[in-house]
Amino acid sequence: MKTNWALGIAGGVLIVLASAHAWAQAGASETSAASNGTAVAASGGMTAKDIRKADRALRRKVYAAIVTHNKEINAGNISVIAKGGTVTLDGTVVDASQIEKVSEIAKGVPGVTSVTNRLTVKKPFGGQ
Amino acid sequence: MKLKWLAAAVLAATGSATYAQSSVTLYGVIDSGLLYQSANAANFQSKVNLGHVYALKDGGIYSSIWGLKGSEDIGGGYKVNFRLQGAFNSSNGKPGLSDTPGATALFNQQTTVGASGPFGTIDMGRQIVPMIYAMADTDVRNAQYFGSILTAWLGMNQAAGWQGLSTNGPIGALYDDNAIVYRSPKFYGASLALEYAPGGVAGQFQGGTRESAVLQYSNYGLNLAAVYYNGHDTNPFTQTAPTTIVTAPSTGLANNRFWYLGAQYTFHDFSVSTSYSIGRNPANSGHANFEMISGGLGYKFSPGFKVTSGFYYLKDRNHSSNQSNEFALGAEYNLSKTTLAYAQVGYVNNRGNMSQTITYGAPVPEGRSTTAAMAGIRHSF
Repeated sequence: MKTNWALGIAGGVLIVLASAHAWAQAGASETSAASNGTAVAASGGMTAKDIRKADRALRRKVYAAIVTHNKEINAGNISVIAKGGTVTLDGTVVDASQIEKVSEIAKGVPGVTSVTNRLTVKKPFGGQ
Repeated sequence: MKLKWLAAAVLAATGSATYAQSSVTLYGVIDSGLLYQSANAANFQSKVNLGHVYALKDGGIYSSIWGLKGSEDIGGGYKVNFRLQGAFNSSNGKPGLSDTPGATALFNQQTTVGASGPFGTIDMGRQIVPMIYAMADTDVRNAQYFGSILTAWLGMNQAAGWQGLSTNGPIGALYDDNAIVYRSPKFYGASLALEYAPGGVAGQFQGGTRESAVLQYSNYGLNLAAVYYNGHDTNPFTQTAPTTIVTAPSTGLANNRFWYLGAQYTFHDFSVSTSYSIGRNPANSGHANFEMISGGLGYKFSPGFKVTSGFYYLKDRNHSSNQSNEFALGAEYNLSKTTLAYAQVGYVNNRGNMSQTITYGAPVPEGRSTTAAMAGIRHSF
């Protein structure tokens, strides 16, 4: 029984990893231009490895901006995916007002050209 | 003259009304659904199966509540906060349980006054303890009332003898009376909560006290939680007959200890969670010594529709024949910003004297498997 569960979890994680690449490209319809235009150029002779490295660095910068700009927001409930300056936000916040705040913080990070926000509200324990 | 007084009274009334509007909020939630359960018991310590049931049940996600909260800015970045919050059963209108066996309370979940500022926050009074928030943050099922880390943890309490007559459990706690809780500001996603509840027992410094510490980290899509809880003279009540409640004297005995480690990771629309915990009576490990393991997987199909699943395993470390595992699966659909529709199914396999429930407040017989399903609606106001 326990082994089955472990396999289930492992399977789930694999699905997540496999779908990560495909999804980051989709969903650019609601994107909005960010204030800062110093995007990481994904075209100028960078290897796939360099691009991934830059994406990871940008992802870390967005998280760092969230936790330093607003201490109310739980960055542990938010998925940040960066791809060549395009940032996709998934996951949850505890209050509707925080959805837009996270977008604004992400847009303010140097290197972010657009933000797709898919955050939803999940009330903390007890519902209030 | 009379007019003048009247004018003054009107002014005063409008003045206070504007104040009240800016600082006091009346809020609540009603959560009600239809429950089917294949096996039922009269209480948590019974092997007798009363058969299946169809019922209107309160609290598919969390219990129905109402409350008042307010916050006053006293300048310099400091605020004074209060909250009064009570659970009620939407099926019959009855208020929720207090710490005294068989007694309900109007505001049974929270009656606190406190302050917040650059130092963090302090709240004093009866309240939902910090540990359960940390457990909810590391459970994809969010410690909901139907099949979650909450029902699993209550399953440990039931195995340790909790009869569900008060909110005073023998392993950890959901609410504590007399609690003083400090929460630190977050530091790069890390935060600390400390609780101390003086027992107020005359002549016994340790009598009835509670203390807990919760360390949380929330950054990079990752939630981590570590919980330590310790209670003295916890659950000193035993009911010997339906009308007789015997209260054991408070002696300052440390008889309630709970450790919990949990993690949850959110990536794209997926979230996964896992936890490990140990609950025992340090004064009598032979009586209560349990282990709990959980796992969860959730997927958000759209911003308004998500599915969560969880697995919860309980084991009696004294008697390996007492084990329980539960699976729960739930779908939640947001009809609007304030209304949620949900449907959930759960299966529990209890062995020995385990009686882990599928949903809060619906006892299942010890030592057999039970299935339950619930569909309902949750409306916030």
